[in-house]
Amino acid sequence: MLILTRKLGETIRIGDEITINVVDIKGKQVRLGIEAPPEVIVHREEIYRHIQEQNMLAVQAGGTGDSVLDDLWRRVVKKEEAE
Amino acid sequence: MIIKTTRFGTVTIDRARIITMRGGGILGFENLTQYVLVTQGENNPFWWLQSVEDGAKAFVVINPFVVTTDYEPVISDDDAVLLEITQPDEVFIMTIVTVRPGGETITTNLRAPIVVNLTKHVAKQIVLDQEEYSVRFPIADNSVDPEKGKEKEKTAPTLSTVR
Repeated sequence: MLILTRKLGETIRIGDEITINVVDIKGKQVRLGIEAPPEVIVHREEIYRHIQEQNMLAVQAGGTGDSVLDDLWRRVVKKEEAE
Repeated sequence: MIIKTTRFGTVTIDRARIITMRGGGILGFENLTQYVLVTQGENNPFWWLQSVEDGAKAFVVINPFVVTTDYEPVISDDDAVLLEITQPDEVFIMTIVTVRPGGETITTNLRAPIVVNLTKHVAKQIVLDQEEYSVRFPIADNSVDPEKGKEKEKTAPTLSTVR
């Protein structure tokens, strides 16, 4: 892993199109300004993992196509009736 | 074109209906870029988002505004550019539904909606900065299903009733 030291306001460049700027430092928190092309995915690591895990779980829904949707809709309708 | 799917068997899909993912598409499934929406009846807000490239991969999705009125996802300028969005009415939003085995609470991911440009047939799962939107927003609970609820009373209490 490459480790660089940067001061407030300084920038790191990755390739031709990505820059990471140190915008603010407060105690243990660093604010970074990231410029990257729209096709580059930039997320906080923990939220990225969280959503990835949720997607992995979601894709495992079993059953045949129509019966699953039927069952889901029936359950949501019943929830609304109960409220 | 004809594709083999796990849930629908062998189906013929119209190429014009294919939605192409941009910017990584669905997180964790970056290698799958083409999907079709499979709907069922006009009244059912749940749909399948079926992968064209992998017949075994399909997500249940929902129009989130059916299950919550308090939802205003903000699409960043970068994502609007990526998805070539120029008019608000060409945007369609859906969220991924998680149905857990064993029939626990059904949830949908409001934090990371799939934004579709209906005109261009391109989409992306975006991650909202709005932390108030849950990755696991409950939309239905087995404890309110009268039939299944009866069965459960005879056996052990479920997590949702204990809570």
